[in-house]
Order: sequence, then structure tokens, then C-alpha cells
Amino acid sequence: MVTIDLSQVSVREGNEQIRAAGAEGHDIEVLNPDARHHIGVGLIHPVTVTVRGSAGYFLGGLSDKANFRVERNVGWGLGDNMYNGSVVVGGNAGAIAGVAIRGAEIVVKGNIGSRAGQVMKKGTLLCAGNANFMAGYMMYGGRIIILGDSGERLGEDMSGGEIFLGGPLNSLGSDATLTDTEQAEIDDIRAFLDRYEIPFKGSFQKVVNAGKKLRYGTSETPVRSIPFFTFSGQSDYWNQKVQEDVYIKSQIGRYRVRGYGGARAVPHLSDLAFRKDVTAAAIGDDPVADVEMKTLIGGINGAKPLTLSMPVMIAPMSYGALSRSAKQAIAIASGMAGIAENTGEGGMSDAQRDAAKQLIFQMLGGRLGWNIHDMNRADGLEIYISQGAKPGFGGQLMAKKVTKELAEIRGIPAGIDLRSPSRHPDILGADDLVIKIEELREATGYRLPVSVKLGAGRIRDDIKIAVKDGFDFVELDGMQGSTGAGGAEVMEYVGIPTLSAICEAERALASIGRRQDIEIVLMGGIRDGVDAVKGLCLGADAIALGTSAIIAGGCIACMQCHVGQCVTGIATQDPEHEKRYKAKVEAQHIYTFLESVRWQIAAITKALGHTSAKQLSRDDLVALTPEAAEITGLPYEPDRRNVELFQAAG
Amino acid sequence: MTMETARIGADANLMPQELADDTSDKHFVAAPCQIACPVGTDAPSYIGYIWAGKFEEAFEAITATNPFSSICGRVCDAPCEPACRREASDGALQIRNLKRFVMDRLGATWTPKPAAQTREQSIGIVGAGPAGLVAAHDLAVAGFKVDVYEMTDKPGGMMIWGIPAFRLPQNIIGEDMVRLQKRCPGLTIHTNTALGRDVTLEELKKRHDAVVLTIGSWWGKKMGIPGENDARVVDGVEFLRRINAGERPQMPREVVVIGGGDVAMDACRAALRLPGCEKVKVVYRRGPDEIPARKIELQGAVEEGIEFIYNTQQVEILPQGDDSLLLRCVKTGAGEPDADGRRRPVVMENSQHDIPCGMVIAAVGQYGANDDLEAQGLMAGDRVATEWEGMKTADPKVFAAGDGAFGGSTIVMAMSHGQRVAYYVKAFLEGNAKPVAYRTPWRTRRVPVAQDTRWEQIALHHPEFHGVGENPVEFPEIESTYTWDEARDEAARCYRCDAETGSSDYSVQNREDIFLMARMGKDDVARQARMLAKRLRPRENPFPQDRPATLDDLVFLPANLSRLVIDPYREACAINTDLGFGRMELEQPFFAAGFDDAPASVKAGVAAGLKGVAAGYIGVQPLGGGAPWLQLVLPGQIAPSSEAAGLIHVVGPRFEAPQGAARLHENQLLGLSVAHHEALEEAIVFGLENKFDVLLLNGNHAVGTSMPELAGAPDLSMLRDAITILRRLNREEEIDILWYGGVRSGTDAAKAIALGAKAVVFGMAVAFAAGAEIHGHELLFAPDRSEEERAAAVANILKAAAGEASMMARCTGKTNLHNLEPEDIRALTRATAAATGLPLAGTT
Repeated sequence: MVTIDLSQVSVREGNEQIRAAGAEGHDIEVLNPDARHHIGVGLIHPVTVTVRGSAGYFLGGLSDKANFRVERNVGWGLGDNMYNGSVVVGGNAGAIAGVAIRGAEIVVKGNIGSRAGQVMKKGTLLCAGNANFMAGYMMYGGRIIILGDSGERLGEDMSGGEIFLGGPLNSLGSDATLTDTEQAEIDDIRAFLDRYEIPFKGSFQKVVNAGKKLRYGTSETPVRSIPFFTFSGQSDYWNQKVQEDVYIKSQIGRYRVRGYGGARAVPHLSDLAFRKDVTAAAIGDDPVADVEMKTLIGGINGAKPLTLSMPVMIAPMSYGALSRSAKQAIAIASGMAGIAENTGEGGMSDAQRDAAKQLIFQMLGGRLGWNIHDMNRADGLEIYISQGAKPGFGGQLMAKKVTKELAEIRGIPAGIDLRSPSRHPDILGADDLVIKIEELREATGYRLPVSVKLGAGRIRDDIKIAVKDGFDFVELDGMQGSTGAGGAEVMEYVGIPTLSAICEAERALASIGRRQDIEIVLMGGIRDGVDAVKGLCLGADAIALGTSAIIAGGCIACMQCHVGQCVTGIATQDPEHEKRYKAKVEAQHIYTFLESVRWQIAAITKALGHTSAKQLSRDDLVALTPEAAEITGLPYEPDRRNVELFQAAG
Repeated sequence: MTMETARIGADANLMPQELADDTSDKHFVAAPCQIACPVGTDAPSYIGYIWAGKFEEAFEAITATNPFSSICGRVCDAPCEPACRREASDGALQIRNLKRFVMDRLGATWTPKPAAQTREQSIGIVGAGPAGLVAAHDLAVAGFKVDVYEMTDKPGGMMIWGIPAFRLPQNIIGEDMVRLQKRCPGLTIHTNTALGRDVTLEELKKRHDAVVLTIGSWWGKKMGIPGENDARVVDGVEFLRRINAGERPQMPREVVVIGGGDVAMDACRAALRLPGCEKVKVVYRRGPDEIPARKIELQGAVEEGIEFIYNTQQVEILPQGDDSLLLRCVKTGAGEPDADGRRRPVVMENSQHDIPCGMVIAAVGQYGANDDLEAQGLMAGDRVATEWEGMKTADPKVFAAGDGAFGGSTIVMAMSHGQRVAYYVKAFLEGNAKPVAYRTPWRTRRVPVAQDTRWEQIALHHPEFHGVGENPVEFPEIESTYTWDEARDEAARCYRCDAETGSSDYSVQNREDIFLMARMGKDDVARQARMLAKRLRPRENPFPQDRPATLDDLVFLPANLSRLVIDPYREACAINTDLGFGRMELEQPFFAAGFDDAPASVKAGVAAGLKGVAAGYIGVQPLGGGAPWLQLVLPGQIAPSSEAAGLIHVVGPRFEAPQGAARLHENQLLGLSVAHHEALEEAIVFGLENKFDVLLLNGNHAVGTSMPELAGAPDLSMLRDAITILRRLNREEEIDILWYGGVRSGTDAAKAIALGAKAVVFGMAVAFAAGAEIHGHELLFAPDRSEEERAAAVANILKAAAGEASMMARCTGKTNLHNLEPEDIRALTRATAAATGLPLAGTT
């Protein structure tokens, strides 16, 4: 037994000692916990931690196999994301007890706060007292046992799992229903209660998902994307696209879903030009050798930074939206090019981890596939708040793509139209976010950069919060970002362009004098080295490529990702279609594309008279359109357009 | 030409008419199949037309650059197919067979429009093969008189003499020849007229203003081994010529064909069909991966039972006493790569062996020859000495093309030579000494993408293969063409690499560039630099000054960290609406308008649809069916009705107070409809003074027409100005604004509400749902929809709109649609910013 006295050491030191003791197989006793947060997070050994007193947020969070005993009360997020192992709390627990657990047994002898068991996948959460509102909110699986009062809206929007209620039912949540219990289930519950020495002789009611919201009611009339490149403003107002849109919606009675990025032009980096004649400048035979491009991202607060061979990384895209083979190809290419890859939502695969030399692990509100082991083998952690393609929405994966295997990785029922939560269970504001970031850092020993992904909106405010909350970098995603599936209207009309996002972010940070306290990775519609350099000139520390990398690897941009039958085998989980994708061949193509991007960045940087990509600045740019000039504050020089055209023709 | 240079569009105005194409269209990229086709066939278009059932249009696209389309439909080596990008996925489109499908339908009957002879000058062409006849075609179409001199008794060259009827029936060749003659009245073909024998080059030069030599590669090469002069050793082209002339000689039991090219394939398959022949073997000196024969011919031969002996080289032919031959061979292995990249076969030691047979057919290459040209000094070895740039020979008046000038190739390649030489001959005859260098033009017919939703799944399907058939000696055709269903499925598989898919940032040109960037050598500085220059080219300004302000150019600001998003998938957002301080309650803030003049069944359908979702109707007349009705009261027309839930008095461009505007009962809404800025202020003041409930703003200024939105984009500044006036008066909360103009979706509705409207009016959008179509300046309703269908569609479009509107609100963090504010949206263009009074996104 190792004893740790939190009146003597900080939580950070305490957690390091807990993990060290756990690794050696010693049980741990924590004295004077004084309701401190994050006690025992990241512990992955089968030892018992006894907390003599009360604990704060996230007791035992992000752990596996360990057992926690708390004598008194705990704050919110008890056992956050625990895989195996157990927690027994002698007193009460705050909100979201058992959030996102995936196998753990969590026993609270007193009452639990609201939203208990939110997005849990597996395991048991037992509350011997009363529950607050929305217990089982959006749970995907596992079992909640409440011996006292149910609280309001029990099982709100649950997708799977079971809730057993021993006390009175206050009200059922949306898409939850009562069903009959089976004797075996009851016997199992009794055995569980006996194991944790909880006397309860009453009967149980059982609540499950009612199945009304798991799938879209009517299927959308499928159409192969019709290339409407003229939009209202440039053509008849009631053009063919409008008519088609009305027609389809008048058949299905709801918003349309599609894949890919924006269909209409918005102010873009390509409305800027370089101040100098880039094509006229002598760049020599090997600009790549002449220009310093190595970029470190994420190290400003002491974490080990990502080391990029150029200021480029791969934008987050999930295994799920994309096939395993496509993810593998991207990972291989990123490794070859010396840049970072990103898991996107839905977990990390061994193949991806092995192929990508540097890998960012993305955490979403549904905590699908999120776990301490993959965090430990990641090179960066990312908290997804929103994405440019559909800010406000969680990931959307139509049933066709939710295969058994994918459901297994994510811990969700197979065959549902997966619509991930829009918010994190434990991030309801900037203050929670600070504590969440701290939990991730505590669990991984402050080794990894922690970033935030933001679909650009109220960037002036959001970026200030991001910097104040202490993120190492922000992934700023403009509305041109693509997605595997999203509401068509949201993709077109929610969010601001990438160009606007970076300009607003820079201005906001400058206004509080904190530009140096965060790094910015810009993404959303960046297609090549030319766009990349413009993004860097406007202030981004690096840029990320998503769609363009996919296109380099064989995507034909048919915009039918949501259908799940991708003709090239990229955006599909159908093995017959995935078979068409030659991961190794396409990895080489993606790598070659990334090298061409590198060449372009180097050539332009050199042509602009710099020796390092870090020297790129706003002074290298002019604006070609009035909109771009107003957004960027750059000089409006429409005549540069003709120079560029002339150069290209020559 | 590389694909990237191929795609940099030339200025159409600077190109001669023959070369003008569509490569400067920013919504077009020549697809890989089109680039791979030597004659630049617009395959994506004809494939698109086939899917649409537009066979005549497909026929036009096919034949536009190819006078031998019927022939090519059967036997083209189809370089388009390996280039097809679907090849890497589940197999290339069967582009040739699709062409055949169209030609089988229309090839025999189509009568082309004759191209009149308009010029005095004439051209003599020697050799009626694919190169010569295509040159003749192009020059005749250009208006010249053309005479073709052919030494055999039929035009067609290797197309007719080289390819057996089981692959290319005679009548198919006939179709193309008939069409050629009909198209080109100024073209005369002189058969049985050989150069040197019947006519000399000197004579032709006198007779014509220019001469084109397309003499072909007519003669089979010798193998150069002992014993090959035996009568039982024949050359492949000669063998095929006899067969194609109609001979069906008795064959020995076993035949060996030497060679791995197309002639070898045709010869071995022809031999197999002849009487007496039981076994055919093909001896080829390299391996199966190097054999030059087209895959489909090779497969056909294998399926018919022909044996392929690879890595084997003939060294001698030994006649045997019993009427048979022994073909002595050695085994070969792969040596160092040749100049063409193929590995040179090297002889393996101690590998000599004999293959017994009754006949050897040598198909080891061809050569061209002509004594007259030799005498004139125009030959270089077995070809006419020809300069590729300009297709000129040493004689300024004499041009050359095809296999006879550049060596053995394919039909379609020879045809492209014909086009090329015609271009230069025309320039020469027009006195243009420095014509723009020839390149294959890439044209598109901009055919919509096939709307078959199974296109990603449909597997490649080959037409039925028959092999030698029941009576082989008759040479029945080896395969059928597609049925219509099969052709349509195959056509649906096309990726349409030539076309936009609807992505803005990843337009067809951008994605093609990315594709090429993914395939260029890391250290190929020249290519990288060319691509960079291309990528630096700015896009056209999508927001030119004349682009009006539009709802499209408004975006919502999503909630992120500064406020919480309301989960659009699950969490509630109120959209119920009350107007006139509780006088009217609606489940959602939607009205429909504009059906006063619609047919009765449409009215009934719309009414039922509106009732289904409890939306209101605004019109001069009630719609019936129980939907709450706001009556549009026009001065001096129909009197206000007490049946109406509200009375909206229509105000003209110059404000005049409506006479006797009063509620007929206490719960009746009272409103004003304003369509003009000029009347706005007075109307608002009047409305406020007289306790009106609603102000209907008509953004289309067109009062009195039943569907004012037909006029186009609404004037958003009406809404801006109304709000500005109300704010100035500090009475924004005292009157509810209904916005009517350009609302197409729930998103548009949410935008109007964010800008200050309380509810919106759907006109055209509901009309489209109810089956309306725009015909000129009129809206007509398709008659083939039942009342129930119209009702369901109207209800659905409004349900969808309700979902979309609340989705926008939730994304911005609102639990009530009416909490949207101008602050929740931004403009993307200056025009829209000005018309709405909103900042440009990214400027705050």
C-alpha cells in the first residue's frame, strides 16, 4: 500500500505517484483529497485506490482495470470514460456520473446528479439513492440501475442499453419506453447488488430505447449530384437547383443530407494574389532544399510538439466516414511526408497508428472509441467542438456505414443512423473546458499537445476562450471543410469562410495581445501549396489538408459520400467496394501530392524572397476582390489578376 | 502531349476553326478517355446520351470526329478503355461496345448531310486505308475536291483486308463507306488504281494541287530464318487478305502462328475456323505480360482454344517427309530492357526443341513499299520519309501519313494521322505557311450526368461472347452488342471525369490538377513549375459588381465556445408563432401565397397541404379547405370578408391610406402590404397609428401578379429599411413583419426572421412542391399529379422548412426560432452586406 497525501503534493505529482505505484502493483491510499479534481485519472493497472474523503471532478476518469473506493462524495464526471474496473462511492455523486463508461462498474450509495451515464457504452452504473434529471441521456449501451427516484426524462434519447428502476418513475425521456423485465436480468441485478452489499428487495421497471429516432423515417430520394455551378445571384433565382431541392424535400419532408464540402463559391484564399510575380522569380532547381519549412506545433505550453517537415498536416477524417483502406493510405502518406495525421471521430486503428508517424487523436462528445490506451499512444489530443462543414452538429454516419466492426470500435449499436451529440457531456462552458483539458493532461502526464477544433463562427469570441483555456493550438476550420455526411443547408449556410476565420482570429488575438499564446492550424478548402502559403501569410502556423488529400488518393468528388457505396472504395464500409481501393498505390499518390504541395510552398516562399516559411507575412499578399480586401484588410489590387493570368498563359 | 498541358485551355478566338475546342471552359476538363483517343472522341458525352436514350445525339458525338465509327465500334483497339479511371476500381467502362451499341442502332440508316464542294483546288490521295480516307473526308468536308487512288478493288485498306469478318462483318464496313460517300459528294475513290502501275506520282502532282501518300504498311515481313521459303510458310497479312477476299482454304490439322500482335491474333483465330484445322498454337518470344495484342483479342483467342507458347523463339523450319513441318525453337528469358522499356528476350542455353505442324503463319511485322516513290527518292527504308511537324515529304506538294509514313499502328491512330495531314494540307492550300501546330481538339457536348443511383454498384458487363460459333467457316460474329438495358447500365457506370460534380472548391479543373499533382515526379522541376503557374491563376471573381444581394450570401454563426449549441438532432426549438398580439397563432411562421389563379385541383391540393401543417394562406380569394386565410384587399375590388382570419390592405408605390380599413371582428388581423420603398415610411406610420397588426413586405415589388416571385431575386433592402424605420420610431415590437420574397427553404425563412420578420410567405417554393414548372414567364402546373400528391408535397416542403429553420436556430444556440437576431448572421458579399446592413463575415 502506497499512501499519497494530497495536502503535501499537488494532484499532478499525486497522479504520477499513483500511476507509478499502480505499475508496480501496489494499492494506493489517498489522504486529504479535499475534493480535488482528477484523482487517479489515467490509471491503467488493476490496483485499488482508496480515497479517504471526498473527490472532485473526474474521479478515476480515463482509467482501465483499476478499482476506486471513495469514502464520501464525488464531483461530476465520476469514472469518466472508464473501461474496466470499478468505483464505489460512499456518498453522493455530481452530474454525469459514469459518463461514457465502457465496461466499468460504478456504484454510488447515495444520490447521483443529472445526466448520469450519458453516452455510456457498456458496464453498470448503480445509484442506490435518487437520480436527477435525464439519467441515461444518449446512452448507447450498458446498464443503469436506479434504486430510488428516476428523476425527470429518464433515458432521454438513449440509443441502446437498459435502465432498471427500483423506485418511482418521474417521467420518461424522448424515445425511451418501458418494457418487460426478464427473470435472468433481475437475478443478475440481485447478484450485482449482493456483490456490492446493497440491500434492496423491491421490484424493477425496465426502460429501453423506443426506436423512433434511430433511423430517418423516410429515405431521401437519391440523386447523383447535379453540377449546379450557377447559383442564385448568378443565374435565374428559381434555377434548376432550387427546383430540384424543393422537389426532393417535398417528397421526404425533412432536410437533405449529403457528403462533401460547399457547393457554392464563398470568399476564398484564391481571391488573394501574391504581391510579387511569383512565376517570374528565379527559384532554382531545388527550392525545397533552399527553404526552411520544418514546423513545430503544440509545444508552447511544455508538451512534446508535433514535428512537421512542412507547415502542413492532415485534417481530421474518421474511419467510418472513410474506409479503413483509405485511412490507411492517408496515414502511410502522412508518415512518408513527415507530417501529422488525425484520427477524426470514431477511434484509432492499429493499422493507422502504425502507418502514421505522428497521429492526433480526436475526442468528440459521443466519446466514440475514445480511451486511455489510444490516448497514450497518440502524439496529440484534440477536443472537437465543431467542424467547418457542419458546425453545431455532431458526426453523422448513415446506417449503411455503421457496420458491426465499426459499431464495435465505437461501442454503439450497429445499423443505426448515427448522429453524434452536438456537445460534450462535460463541456458546458469555458470553465468546464478548462477542467476537461486539465483532465486530459493529467491522464497523459502533460506529455501531449491538446488542441481544439472549431468550425468557424463567432471566432472573435471563441478564439479568446480557446487561448484563455490554455489550449496548445487551435484547428480552425472554415465553412468550406468537407464531411462524410451532413445536412445540406448547414453545409452551405452555417459558418464563415476559411479566409474570414483566419482574419478574424488574428485580429481577436492581437486585440488582447495574446497571439503568441496559441498556435493556429487553418483548414477548410485548402487545395494546394498556393492556398497553403496564403493561409500562412495571413497568420496560420500550419494548414491542414483533407479533401485534397482524398482527391489525390483517387476520390472523384461525386459528393455521394453519405450513400456509403463509394465507387472508388474511399467513403464506404462495404467490403466489396472497399476492395476496389488499393491503399498502397493511393498512399504513393497522396504522398506525391503532398510533395508537390511542399514544392509549391517552397517555390513560392523562395520567390517571395524568403528563406523560411516562417517569414511569410501579410505583406506578401494583395486582394483581388473587394470582398477579400475588406475581409483581410489587404490592399485591393484587381490588376494583379491580369498579371497572374498573363504569367500562366506565358 | 501530357495531360496537364493538354488541359490548359487555349484562347478559342486565336485557334483555327479546326482546332477550336472547349478546353477554355472552366467547367470542363477533357476526360482521360477523350485524351487517350487519338481522334479525341467525346466519349463522356456519348455515354451520357446513351444513358438518356438520346441515340441520335450520341451518334453525332461519336461520328463527329470519326468517319469510321461503325468499324471502330467493332474493332477499335480502344485506348480509351485502359485510360478509364474506373479501371482502377471495378473495371473500365466498355466504351467501344457502347459505341457499337449506338452504331448498331443507327449506323445503317443514318443519312448525313452532304458537305458541298466549295473550292476549286483538288487533292489526290494514294491509298484508301483509314489514314487516307479520313484525310479525304476532312478535306472534302472542308470543300475541296478529293480523289483517292486505291490499288485493290475495295476501299478500306487494312480495315477491309486485315480484319476477318468474325470481328468485322463486311456490311459494317459498308455502312461507314456509304456514309462517307453521302457525306462527301466531292470525294471520288478510284479502285484498282495502283501508284506506279496505273498512275504515277508525277501525274498526280499535275492533276492535283496537293498529294497525300497513305500507302500503308501492306507487306508482311520475313522472319529471316532458314526454311521460311517453304510453300507452307505464309505471311500473316497475305493470309488474312486471302481469307478476307473470300477464300476458305483447306488447312492442315495443326497450324502455328508466330508473333504476338493484332495480325497474329486475327490470323490464328481465322485459321482455327477454316476447314481441316484442329489445333492452332501461337509462338511468342516474350512473356504474357509483354504480348502487344489487345487484351480482349487475346482473351477471345484463349477462350476459343488457341494455345499460347510464350518465351519461345523460332530459329528454323524443317520440312518433313510426311507432308508436315517442324518448327525449331529455343526458349527465351527476359534480358535488359529495350529502348521501348520492354525486356529484350535472350536465348536460354540448351533449350532447342521442335514444334510439329502443317503450316506456319508468320505475323512478325509489316512494311510499306512502292517502286515509284522509291524512284522519286521519297522513301526511307520501308516508309515514306515524312516530317511529323507538318506531315511533309521532301516534295513540297506531297504529304504523307499513316502506317506507310510512321510505321505499323492502329486504325484509330491512322485515322488521327489522316486528320492531322488534312489540317496541314488545308493550311498549305490556303497559303498558310506557318499554321498553328496541330493538336487534337477536345470538345464537349455538356451532357448531364446519368441519374442512375446504382451507378456505384453496377458491375462491368461484357456483351455475350460466342467464340467460333456453330459454323466456324462462315465466320459468324464473335460477340453480340448490348441490349438497351445493358447499355444503359454500362453507361451509368461512367465517372464523368469531364464534368463538374457540384463542388465549388473542388471543381473539375481543381480536382484534375490535384490528381496530376499526385502523379508528378517529386524532382521533375519543369512539371512542378508548370503546375504551380497554373495553380497561381486566380479564379474568376464569383461576386462581380452586378451580382445582386441575395439570401444565398448570408450565413449563420454557429455556437461553439462562447455559447452552447442546441443539439439539432435531438433538442427542441420552439417555432410556434403568434401574430397581432395573440390574434393569430401558428404552429410555424409560414404562409403560402400566389394560388389565386391556379387550377381548382391545385388549389385543393395546396389547401389540404397547408391544413396538414397548420400554415396560413394569403390571397385575394380564400383557398378553401380550412387553412387560415389572410385576405389581400385591393382598392376597389373584392370587399373585405369576415371569413378571413385577417385583412391585408395592399398599398401602391405611392402611399394612400386604405379606405375604411377596419377589422370585421375583434380577432381579425389587420395588415398592410407594401411592395415599394417609396411607400414604406408612410405605410409604417399609418399602420402604427391605426393599430395594424402586420406589415407584409413584398420584396419583389410586383403587386397584383399572382406570383410576384417569378420576377427573380427579392430586394432584401425592403426588410432592412422597414426595420430601420421601426427602430428609429422605437416601435419595433408594435407591428409584426411578414416577409414575402425569394424564400426557398427553412434556411431562407430563418434568415428573414433573423433580419426582423415574424413570419415568411412561401410562393414559388410551395408552387414547385405542388407540381409547378416554369414555362417562359409563366408558372404552369403539371397535370399528372393527384390532389393527394400535391397536398402531401406541400405539407412536406413546409415540414422540411420548419425543420431547417429550427436547425439554423439551434446551430446558433437558440431554443426559439424567434430569438434569432441580425447578430446571428453575416454577409458574404458587399452587396448583401449593404442590402441587409450586416457586416461581412470575418470583419468583426
